[in-house]
Amino acid sequence: MLNELLLKLARWLDSQSWSTSIHESIYLYSWIETTHVLTLMVFLGMLFVIDLRMLGAIFPNVPASTIAQRLDKPMMIGFVVMLITGFLLYYAIPVRTTQSLWFRIKVVLLIAAGINAFLFRAKMQASSDSWDLDPVPPKRIRIGAALSLALWAGVVITGRTIAYDWFDCHKQLPYFMYWAAGCVDEMAALP
Amino acid sequence: MDLYPFFDWLDTSLLADISKAYGGVFAVVQMFHLLGISMLGGMVLVGDLRLLNIVMRDIPSEVVIENTHKWFNVALVIIVISGIFMSSAVALKLYYNTMFWAKMASLAAGVVFVYAIRRPLLKFDHATIKPTTLRMLAITSILIWFTVAASGRWIGFS
Repeated sequence: MLNELLLKLARWLDSQSWSTSIHESIYLYSWIETTHVLTLMVFLGMLFVIDLRMLGAIFPNVPASTIAQRLDKPMMIGFVVMLITGFLLYYAIPVRTTQSLWFRIKVVLLIAAGINAFLFRAKMQASSDSWDLDPVPPKRIRIGAALSLALWAGVVITGRTIAYDWFDCHKQLPYFMYWAAGCVDEMAALP
Repeated sequence: MDLYPFFDWLDTSLLADISKAYGGVFAVVQMFHLLGISMLGGMVLVGDLRLLNIVMRDIPSEVVIENTHKWFNVALVIIVISGIFMSSAVALKLYYNTMFWAKMASLAAGVVFVYAIRRPLLKFDHATIKPTTLRMLAITSILIWFTVAASGRWIGFS
């Protein structure tokens, strides 16, 4: 049901002339993708500094909350740019991306990373008074930071693998994989 | 100096056997390359934005530079190792790719800039360095490293 709905949405986006224009442009698509990748240095770069501080691996003499607060704004600027360019990349190739197993895993990991960040922030605000000056924060904070790094690493690799066609709908795949990738027509064609 | 023999050798090396045969291994190494870029870019940006007085103004810039440089080194090692592996998969193609050489040139400029200029200069007390010099250092650094990353991405487009 959801697969059909998503495909319908993707086909509608695909029918718009702007989507085709970006897709078929000589340089625009490449520049959007370049911006998307380069902004990794802003968003993920800032996140690296914050999470490494929470792991006790950088800025041991600066309070953890200071690092988190000072880098929050540049990190969010990076995130917004990634979100906008990411949406444009999806908009330029909506059908194939919707039916990409990697893209689907990426979205799930994004949501998981978002939830983790939200919980981490709450945990930090509730308890940072007691460990803010410690060079190495307590274990539960370190676990949250490690989880954050692992989830974002997952987002990066699944983002990169969208470009590979290993599990595209036109390949011979088991029913489960067709379902997971949302290959609606291929599922119906199976005996 | 023609580096063709090196690329010719790399193209048939053990590394190339692995990188050409296993797409999955290549993708994972590429992930480390991308994470290394993010880390390197983050360290460069945090240090340079501090020198430009944009972020972390209440933390001494010496402390920021000192801490970010350590992880800059780690990131650079990750990037170079994963980069050599990735280039083994398409060594001869890269040899004839203009964008690849643009990237190598800017990378060389970046490495020289960091270890021969930025690092030695910023070892002095920052209060004794002219603010304009600090700003120039920061802007040059950001420009160089974004050029390296952008030309790297464009290898794939060209």
